[in-house]
Amino acid sequence: MPAAGVGGSAGAAVIAGIMPDRGARVPFRRVDAIATHGLTKHYGPARRFGSRSVGTAPIRALDDLTLAVTAGEVFGFLGPNGAGKSTAIRLLLGFIHPTAGSAEVLGLDVATAGAGLRGRIGYLPGGIALYDGLTGTQLLDYLAAYYARPPVLRGGLVEQLGLSARDLGRPIRDYSRGMRQKIGIVQALQHDPELAILDEPSEGLDPLMQRAFYAILDERKAAGRTVFFSSHVLSEVERVCDRVGIVRSGRLVALERVGELVARRRRRVEVRLGGPAPGLASAIAALPGVSAFEARDDRLAFGLDGDVTQLLRVLEGAALTDLTIEPARLEDAFLELYDEPAP
Amino acid sequence: MSAILFRRTWAAQRVRLSFVMLGLVVWGFLLPVVFATFGKEMGALARSGTFANVFDVMSRFTGGDVFSIRGTVALGLVHPIALALVTIQVVGFAAAAVAGERQRGTLEVLLARPLERRVLHLTLLAAMLLFAALTEAAVLGGIVAGALLFGVAGDLQAADIALCWLNGFALFGALGAISLAASVSFDRVGPALGIALGVTLVGYAVEFLGTLWPDAAWLRPFSPFRYFQPTRILAGTFEPADLLVLGAIFAAAVAWAAWVFPRRDLAAPS
Repeated sequence: MPAAGVGGSAGAAVIAGIMPDRGARVPFRRVDAIATHGLTKHYGPARRFGSRSVGTAPIRALDDLTLAVTAGEVFGFLGPNGAGKSTAIRLLLGFIHPTAGSAEVLGLDVATAGAGLRGRIGYLPGGIALYDGLTGTQLLDYLAAYYARPPVLRGGLVEQLGLSARDLGRPIRDYSRGMRQKIGIVQALQHDPELAILDEPSEGLDPLMQRAFYAILDERKAAGRTVFFSSHVLSEVERVCDRVGIVRSGRLVALERVGELVARRRRRVEVRLGGPAPGLASAIAALPGVSAFEARDDRLAFGLDGDVTQLLRVLEGAALTDLTIEPARLEDAFLELYDEPAP
Repeated sequence: MSAILFRRTWAAQRVRLSFVMLGLVVWGFLLPVVFATFGKEMGALARSGTFANVFDVMSRFTGGDVFSIRGTVALGLVHPIALALVTIQVVGFAAAAVAGERQRGTLEVLLARPLERRVLHLTLLAAMLLFAALTEAAVLGGIVAGALLFGVAGDLQAADIALCWLNGFALFGALGAISLAASVSFDRVGPALGIALGVTLVGYAVEFLGTLWPDAAWLRPFSPFRYFQPTRILAGTFEPADLLVLGAIFAAAVAWAAWVFPRRDLAAPS
């Protein structure tokens, strides 16, 4: 989408600061790698006969998804099974057609761009199925042959994911699940795509290979490529993503930077008192952001939203034997979003 | 058309195709051998005896006989053995070509490449037509080889053989196009194969019944097999309209697939 986006004004200001004599005149346009506008997919709509509707109510697989993924970022798309992640990915690739709304990928309308667009994308489907009769090398050669770009990254990816020449010479039917996933990652990225769309990419990988995969994502990002991936593994999203979108029942319920999302999460705090502290419990309970406050004997436990500075000020000088503030994790932010009533 | 997909399809099908073609060559070769060995004598005996009418009915029933070289060629092409072998390769391939990939989950891997659905369909259509051409050529090649080797090819005209090949190619091209249209319309092989085999088997049964039972003869124009007439070609009474009808069936099936396939949703494999 050739939209001005964030870069329109902020970017011009940055350039103006660096090059005051040129910045204002240089047009600064950012192209989003992915931009969706009210993207909606309903399955099985009720058929109309005259004025009557016949059939069951449509399944709302995705409702009014509007988001933009900036070129060069690693974007995590989160949600449990059935939330609409795969539907969104299939809409972006043109496998299914939207009921309403539109999607642009690498500046091109998905509905009209066709094969040329897919030549610039690498895709790893969830639970990838491969041609079992081919060897790993034959499969990679076959799938790479469709692209104008040569598979320049294959050697590096194969090495990073620990696929030996012997592995690649074996038929895929003999591969374990993890090996299949590795081959799936290589086929998606070997031609150095501008945008990689990965559906549950670390599924089936052991912890060592997960780490290797994260390194690959870091390299993609350093090379200025965009990665859009869905995942259930929130720790990996927290580890590798710049921003996340969280979908619930087909609707986008959060879209922000990982750091900001985590910073807003409710931490669990536990305070152990070393002696009498009159008024401390009530002072803590009165702090903004404190919830689910419990005081029992020498133990105070509560939830805390946002900044911890005010809490630390209240605790200053009090006789404490222990203070535990759980580190903020994306998982908790995610679960909190899912604890709220459905949109 | 995608040369990459075409090469891959060829590589994936060549073993089965080789076996089918070998079977058809052997089948075709055997018939002139039978004719050369005792067909002439048996034919003369049959036509001179009391049961001449019975043999005529049998010739019509089977679409050919081994009492003349022309009957032998016709029998070689329309006999259920030959039809079944060609069906396995052409109709079987076409019915599973897209629905099979979809069922296995590999279709989305393929369509994530810079490959349009229409190009995918046309490439598989081209592969199916090649298989139809080769299998029909195999059975005719076997018949001609047998006839030449046993010195009974004298009555055969090259133009008639070429027309027989064209007629068989047109029949299986039409059946293959219907099968491929079914394949792009379903997510699983079962329904696609069911429709493809249904059209083929019901079409054959209708033609078979219509030939034997005059009361059912009105159904024959609805069967694609009605327009596959090697006997008439070899007798010099071929109607070019037969080819036009098969061509129209082919065109309608291709148009259906070209309309449906790019427009249908390919939801996540279940």
